[in-house]
Formats: sequence, structure tokens, C-alpha cells
Amino acid sequence: MAEQVDFERDAMQYTRQLYSAAMRMTRNPADAEDLVQETYLKAYRAYHTFQAGTNLKAWLYRILTNTYINKYRKESRRPSEVDLGSVEDLYLYRRLGSEESAEAARTTEDRVLDGLVESDIKTAVENLPENFRLPVLLADLEGFSYKDIAEILDIPIGTVMSRLHRGRKAMQKALWDYAQSRGLLPEGAEKP
Amino acid sequence: MTQTDCDDALASLYQYLDRELNTASSTEIRSHLDECSGCFQRFDFERRLKSVVKERLSEEVPDEFIDRLRLAIAEEIGKGS
Repeated sequence: MAEQVDFERDAMQYTRQLYSAAMRMTRNPADAEDLVQETYLKAYRAYHTFQAGTNLKAWLYRILTNTYINKYRKESRRPSEVDLGSVEDLYLYRRLGSEESAEAARTTEDRVLDGLVESDIKTAVENLPENFRLPVLLADLEGFSYKDIAEILDIPIGTVMSRLHRGRKAMQKALWDYAQSRGLLPEGAEKP
Repeated sequence: MTQTDCDDALASLYQYLDRELNTASSTEIRSHLDECSGCFQRFDFERRLKSVVKERLSEEVPDEFIDRLRLAIAEEIGKGS
């Protein structure tokens, strides 16, 4: 079992990551700070039950996610499904790749990847329905394995994979719209 | 190289990028990417997008918040002693 006296040393290294995730969950700094603080206090109180040597980061994320869901989900009126209609795989790539030459396609890709600003990426993720947003955050922001994500969210691995897949597609569709509105695409790029 | 090779590789694209494939499957994908520049470009784009997403989602934590957090934890520790 872990010693509570070691808590600060062990757990404080994850502050930035937990705060970044909390910002994308709550969408504002005040709630993100409350959420992270509550997570740390809950984790401290339960730290004597934590099995030393197991995945502390995943455990902290589990507390963060459950605290978020219990506290904020009730207030959410956002849809829990994404309408992906005819959104195909590699949505963004397929639309950028319709150039005459490989060099031109690469230039467009670079322009889009460089030109999408932080707020585009953040908004694209924040606008995902929660079922999809949480797996995308855990995988793409944190790099958790599917198994860890399944344990953090209490869902089967197959569900993690399908939600990640759909969430990333929806994100790419949003990024395509931002790229268009920022004028990052060449004349005559295929319209969705 | 056949269309099936490309389809198989693309079906595992995210699992590959997320490092969820076993060694044998990863090796298979890697050798396909060496032979197929179309798939290589698709994989490369998705890999770059994934790293852009990671980099631009990260937040700086305000110093004042770190101070408040440390204080809150210290108070909690104080309660128990």
C-alpha cells in the first residue's frame, strides 16, 4: 500500500496533464481548477488504499473522470451521439489529398497542420459529445492504452475503440471546417 | 502488394499509431509502409495530426493554482494528523 506522506511527491507531477484534461472537460479555468483540486483531495484521502507500483496516473484520471461525470454531467444538455452520416475514414486526409501532385498535397497538409491554431483543436475536442470526448482526450492528449482507458471509463475495450474511431472522425470533420474558414485550403478543394 | 494489403493496413491504422498492435502485426504494417508510398503518406498524415492534437491541447497550469492546490493538500494532511 502507498504511504500518504509520499502523496505529494508522487502525485503532483501530473498536475499539468490533469489540468489540461480538466480544461477540455469543463471548458473553463475556474471549474477545471475545482475539478483538479477535488481530484487531488479525493486521491489523497484514498491514497492508503492505492497499490504502490501500479499505475498512479491512470488512477488519478479515473478519479478525475468520475468526479467530472458525477458533478457536471447532470448539467449537460449536449447530445450524446455524433451524426457522422457520410463521414468516411481519413476524412481530413482524403480532402487534402485531392491535389495534382504529391508535393502540392504535402504543402497543403503542412499548411493545414501548421495553420490550425490551438483554439481550433480545443474547440473541436470540446464540442464532441462526452462519450467520445473522454476517450479521445485519454488517448490523444494522454497517450493511455486502450486497456487503461477501458479501466478509467469502466467500458469494454471494444467500446473504447469504436468511440475513439467515431470521436476522431467527428474531430476531423470539425477541423476541416476550421481549415476552410481560415482559408488554409487551395482554390477548388473538394467541398464536404 | 495488393488492395487487400492496403485495406488491412488501413483497418489497423489507429491501432498501429496508438501502439496497440503486437510485434508481429506492427512489423507487418511497417513492411507494408516501406512498399506502399500511398499508405505511408496516409499513416504519416494521421501520425502528424495526432501529435499536433496532443501538442495544442496541452495547457499551462497557472502558478497561483499550483500554490492553492499545494495549500489545500497541506490542509487536508493537517486534518489527518
